[in-house]
Amino acid sequence: MASSSSSGLTFKLHPLVIVNISDHYTRVKSQMHPPIGPYANDNSNGTDGATSLPPPVPRVYGCVIGIQRGRTVEIFNSFELLYDPSTHSLDRSFLEKKQDLYKKVFPNFYILGWYSTGSDAQESDMHIHKALMDINESPVYVLLNPSINHAQKDLPVTIYESELHVIDGIPQLIFVRSNYTIETVEAERISVDHVAHLKPSDGGSAATQLAAHLTGIHSAIKMLNSRIRVLHYYLLAMQKGDILCENSLLRQVSSLLRRLPAIESEKFQDDFLMEYNDTLLITYLAMFTNCSSTMNELVDKFNTAYDRHSRRGGRTAFM
Amino acid sequence: MDIEQKQADLIDHFVKQASALQGSALCPLIAEATSNTSLFAFSEILAIPSVLQLEGTSNSVYLDVLRLFAHGTWSDYKRNAGCLPQLVPEQVLKLKQLTVLTLAETNKVLPYDQLMQELDVTNVRELEDFLINECMYAGIVRGKLDQLRRCFEVQFAAGRDLRPGQLGSMIHTLSNWLATSDNLLMSIQEKIKWADSMSELDKKHRKEVEDRVEEVKKSLSLKKLQTVSRPTLTSEGMRRSTLNLVE
Repeated sequence: MASSSSSGLTFKLHPLVIVNISDHYTRVKSQMHPPIGPYANDNSNGTDGATSLPPPVPRVYGCVIGIQRGRTVEIFNSFELLYDPSTHSLDRSFLEKKQDLYKKVFPNFYILGWYSTGSDAQESDMHIHKALMDINESPVYVLLNPSINHAQKDLPVTIYESELHVIDGIPQLIFVRSNYTIETVEAERISVDHVAHLKPSDGGSAATQLAAHLTGIHSAIKMLNSRIRVLHYYLLAMQKGDILCENSLLRQVSSLLRRLPAIESEKFQDDFLMEYNDTLLITYLAMFTNCSSTMNELVDKFNTAYDRHSRRGGRTAFM
Repeated sequence: MDIEQKQADLIDHFVKQASALQGSALCPLIAEATSNTSLFAFSEILAIPSVLQLEGTSNSVYLDVLRLFAHGTWSDYKRNAGCLPQLVPEQVLKLKQLTVLTLAETNKVLPYDQLMQELDVTNVRELEDFLINECMYAGIVRGKLDQLRRCFEVQFAAGRDLRPGQLGSMIHTLSNWLATSDNLLMSIQEKIKWADSMSELDKKHRKEVEDRVEEVKKSLSLKKLQTVSRPTLTSEGMRRSTLNLVE
């Protein structure tokens, strides 16, 4: 069913859509009765007596909206829809209500298609696809595969378009897979970055936090390093004469290099050392406080243990 | 880097015009190029063969002017004012802007006195006006003016045309930068390893201490059976019981 698309449209997907779909799916999955989880199967097996299969993983449905400019389709956002299993179609009035609401907030966005979860596109999806064709003449179908495959490096999201192919002499609409790129807005980039760098929530030891922080810096500097290496190689080649001298680039590089050295100035050293000393001082002070409180506890414990001894005998305290 | 984009069209325009002209027709073109308010790059025009052919002819002064604008400063012009044609005010302004760029090449902090001397400006107010209006608003420099310390801190300066020897020094700077960042990467990795090993040591130490505490607790609970736990009223009895506990 899925071959490569030939319509020539370029698709740009925003991470917000992917997060929305996975959030929708996770919510529905965790709210089902009985809850589907790693432990639920044992219970159901035990109580029923007969082996019961885990309840089928729910499919969630929704609509994707965005902007289509020329040949570029950019999918910005998505919202959920009600699925009517009896008629195998999406609730139309709900869709229109939601569409009006979203139109008020985002006047530029149009309904570009719909989404669902599952491992592969199915025949029944074509009904829903055709139903949406009166809103958008060529809707897109975004499919998220919720099964986690650790070996898979790509995102489990596929975008399908519908095309009229002639199969067995009958022109039919089939799904064809399309390529897409991820496009991020600054806000999305920050949140995805934040989620990707989740520190262990039990706080971890100080060492793991420090190691995580340092690893971040390390990778950033590594990237800078590789870029500088490229520039260096380029300049060397220009000097040898392998590449034509491009003056505008050389000018830009020279202006860049003029910003170095950035850390040598006196003011920087002063501020840096001051902050360094402040941090050391505070750590020292905290250590002091810690030590004196531990000492205090020790003395208390000692006095409690040997208190009768000293009070009764009139001897001076041990300390 | 947006300066380069702004200049790119102008450079193309002038290059096209210059390639089409020859000889003395180039002189007004050169004058026009050097007066243009947004053009700061002249090495492309210098590279055109018909321009280079001006060398040695009667119009070679114009070639010298172009070279002055590409690499020189206002002081260079004053020194050689005798052999160079008179500059119109726009060219004077441009040359002064280029002088600021050259000064920014060597130092990041430019004292007002040096700037005033190089640019032939007598008072600070004029200097600051020049820097703000002509240089910063044109986008060729970005920086902070420090009036108390009478200096101009340059954060960014656009590049001028390269002198022939500059490429070598740029490569040298780049290799230094590379070496420094490599060293930094290694020291960060060492720090990470250090942090991990220190936390290991700390955990081991903590475990040892706890084990010792457990041992002592066990041995204490054995000893407790021997002592009289209820304190007696007589002082003698108390002393006996406490003595036993201490033992």
